[in-house]
Formats: sequence, C-alpha cells, structure tokens
Amino acid sequence: MFVVDDLLVRPFVSLLNVVHTMAIEEFYDTEAIRDDIKENRLLFEIDERSREAYEERRAELERQLDVAEQARENLQGKVEIKR
Amino acid sequence: MATTHLYTYGITDDADVAFEIDGVDGASDVYAVEHGSLAAIVSDSERMEPDRSDENLRAHDDVLQELLYRDGGRTVVPMQFGMVFKNARALKGVLRGGRRAFRKALNDVEGRVELGLKILADEGATVDRESIVATVEERLGPVCVSETENGLFSDRLVVNRSYLVEREDRAAFDEAVDELIDEYGETLTIQYTGPWAPYSFVDIEIGAKR
Repeated sequence: MFVVDDLLVRPFVSLLNVVHTMAIEEFYDTEAIRDDIKENRLLFEIDERSREAYEERRAELERQLDVAEQARENLQGKVEIKR
Repeated sequence: MATTHLYTYGITDDADVAFEIDGVDGASDVYAVEHGSLAAIVSDSERMEPDRSDENLRAHDDVLQELLYRDGGRTVVPMQFGMVFKNARALKGVLRGGRRAFRKALNDVEGRVELGLKILADEGATVDRESIVATVEERLGPVCVSETENGLFSDRLVVNRSYLVEREDRAAFDEAVDELIDEYGETLTIQYTGPWAPYSFVDIEIGAKR
C-alpha cells in the first residue's frame, strides 16, 4: 500500500510544485519588471509619455521590484525560480 | 559626524582633476585618488548605496561628460553607477589589483566615444525587422570600431545598439545616422544619443571588497 500511495501522491505533489514555481516566476519576475522600467524611461525620453505619467509608473514599478526582490530573497533555497 | 566614503565615477590616467559640479548624492567637489599611473575620479559620499534616482544617474553621467571634454578631454573608463568605496585605502586596493585590466581598458577606448541608437516601431505596427537591422549594420558598421547589442527590452524596439566610434569619425557616423533617419524617420522613431563615456565597451568585474 505504501508503494501505491507513493506513486499516486508523488506526481500530484510535483505538479503542484511546478504550478507554484511558475506562478512565483511570473509574479516575481524581476527581469521583466526591470525591462518595464527601461521601457517607461524610453517612452518618456521620446515624448510619448508625460513626466507625470512616467513618474507615476516608475514609482509603481519600483515598488513592484522591491517586493519581487524581497520575495525572491525570502524564497531562496525553498523554491527554485528560473527565468 | 557622518563617515565619508568615496563615490567613484571612472578611472583615468590623468590625476590632475579637480572641479566643482553637481555630483551624486549632492556632492559638489570632484577630485582624483591616485595610485601609480591610474587615478580614480571620486566625490565624497555619506552613503554606501546611493539612490538610483534620475538626478543621481544624470549627475553620474554629467561628471563623466566633464571628464571627457574638460580641459581638452581625457580618456575615461567609466564605472557603473553606484560604486562606492569605504575609503581611499579600499579604492587604491582595487586600482592596484585591477591595474592591468584598467590599463588595457584605457588603451581600448582611447580617443573613442560611445554613441547609442534605438529604433522603435509604433505600437502594434508590423515591421520588417530583419531588413531594418541589416540596413543599420550596413550603414553604421563601416564607421564604427565596435558595436554591441543592448537587448530589446520593449516589444516595440527593433534596434538597440551602442557603437564605439573614433572621435575623428563622429561626423561620418552622424551622416550615416542621418541617412537612416531619412530612410526610416517617417515610419519609425529613431533615438540617437551620445556621446557617452564608453560604458558598453568596458567589462571589468571588481571582486575586491568595497
């Protein structure tokens, strides 16, 4: 019975892990946030975004980046996060 | 009294540098810390980690621009933003440990400047990226010493490159960019920037303790 339980449970656990890791990867994707920061800056530089909109978006993205970096640091060693 | 650290802008072989400017984190005096034939250009800083604010990023580049052009100009190996050393001893240790790499980098970029080119498509527009990239390579390749791809961080970016150009070839490079603007300026947005200190053409990793 132990073997059967083990076989039944393991794939389920590993699937959950994959889904969990993917969610973390997407939510805390620091590289993607950094790209958004660069894009925001570029759109401001070429006058497609006003200073007000640029600064508002920048503050929002920097907050996201802080949260993502903190989360990754906290999860280090517990969950493998790959880009 | 707060401890004073050294915010470092770049490395040069000219120790005769001292001027007033709006530097990083409100600093006003920029000066050289010398070790052997190398000099690090610094300003005092109370913090080991300055804010990555627009003002500080601009101040970092303004100081490098001054170094590039002030008093006839000089060759500079630029530091990445945010390099702060605890004191002159730590900084001199880095100059000593990295002297060969710094010397080579100074030779590599001597008499050259960095120029940047970004080409963007309109939101949702479909463009022939391969053809545009090929044209850019064909026009700018012959008038630069080296070039590097900087990454397409936006879906709208078609080209994002930096070019190392001999100062004496600036006019020829400008002309080549003008030709690109004539060809694509109606349908694409072209951002031509510089001259910059050669940030993209110096790759020295400092492993020493700051």
